[in-house]
Amino acid sequence: MTDTSTDHLLTGILSPQTRRQDRSLPDLDRTPDPWESSMQATCECLSWRGALDNLERRHAEDRLGETVYVDYPVQARSALVVTHLLMEQGILDEQELRSKMAQVRARLEDV
Amino acid sequence: MTQRRFSVGDRVTVRDATSLFHTRTQRYARGRTGVVTEYRPEWVIPEDEAWGRDEDGRHEPFYVVRFRQTDLWPDYTGFDVDTLETECSERWLEPEMVGTK
Amino acid sequence: MTYTEHEHIEGPTEVSEFEVLERAVRELAIEHGLFSAEDHRRFTEWAEARTPAKGSQLVAKAWLDPAFKQQLLSNGTEASKAVGVDWLDPTGKGTPSDYTYFYVLENTPKVHNVIVCTLCSCYPRPVLGMSPDWYRTPNYRRRLVRRPREVLAEFGLHLPSDVEVRVHDSNQKSRFMVMPMRPEGTEGWSEEQLASIVTRDTMIGVALPNPEWTATNPPNAKTGARR
Repeated sequence: MTDTSTDHLLTGILSPQTRRQDRSLPDLDRTPDPWESSMQATCECLSWRGALDNLERRHAEDRLGETVYVDYPVQARSALVVTHLLMEQGILDEQELRSKMAQVRARLEDV
Repeated sequence: MTQRRFSVGDRVTVRDATSLFHTRTQRYARGRTGVVTEYRPEWVIPEDEAWGRDEDGRHEPFYVVRFRQTDLWPDYTGFDVDTLETECSERWLEPEMVGTK
Repeated sequence: MTYTEHEHIEGPTEVSEFEVLERAVRELAIEHGLFSAEDHRRFTEWAEARTPAKGSQLVAKAWLDPAFKQQLLSNGTEASKAVGVDWLDPTGKGTPSDYTYFYVLENTPKVHNVIVCTLCSCYPRPVLGMSPDWYRTPNYRRRLVRRPREVLAEFGLHLPSDVEVRVHDSNQKSRFMVMPMRPEGTEGWSEEQLASIVTRDTMIGVALPNPEWTATNPPNAKTGARR
């Protein structure tokens, strides 16, 4: 079960350039970006503190990763799906995500 | 310490229950028969743990069950010697049921 | 609103959209009290300190010391302490996805073990570090249980028909690691030398150790010689 408005939001909020160019080529030699391990820690904390169970998230990653987010790189699935689920559960709303992302972007590009 | 229902060497069939709850018993193992190869400790069953009942959830003995791959997959492409092991809580196991694979 | 900004930014200084998303979600989760900034820091610090080196060391020790090997096979959680791995770190009861029951699976001339987690992607992180990307893909997770020999062949591993391929689907609280067989040509090697050929993949079970291959040397003409 997916929430269409959430799907629309996340695919619309991210740059089209973040989509995979060629799905047939797995990046075997890729070195993980630093944000990926940070995202893993976020997943662990959410599970540890009872907000979002790891298994439930994994299932959602499989389900949504093969459908709604099929055009995005595999390593981005956790970030996309965690956001998706937290919005679906009503914990985060679209407006605060947009403004937080704008804020973070501004902060990172300020230096 | 509850009495264990099964011993190492017993042939057991995984129950073919459709669970509406959070479970960690794989669909491919349900209704299949294997052999108990090892005991595992008594753990909180995942059906309760998923609801945050780490402390007061139901504890149950767990077992390692070994299946022959050819019993799991009718069209198995490997060799007869190949096996698969996984862990099951006691409530998911029954003594071998005749007529099951 | 569609994406408009930043399309002009190029090159290595570009801020990735996923980096922005990751940070935004983390900060919002902290603001909403789902977890604390310190929780996150502790997990990051702990996870980043994990590498397959501890696993390699456990195997090398076991190859050299039969008593240690026995201990490792009978109580992996306890034996891990010999290389400084405490499965209860960092929360006192393991992490939610790294439970504290650790079992080492011994390869023999007749049994080859390989690990997978079909339900999610459980992995023995305290001893092997972060799992490889392919380990988490549906391709590996679905196909290894069903067609293990085909998947192993895709990794370049072909095993004879009288060797039992034993797949371990890690579905409960146990975490597994494979102890490969010590290859010929390593007689008289030190623990450190031995550990260098016990690479991550050999402890997952998709490869066998080779005295000429180490995890740190790139696969080139010098190190890639066929035996």
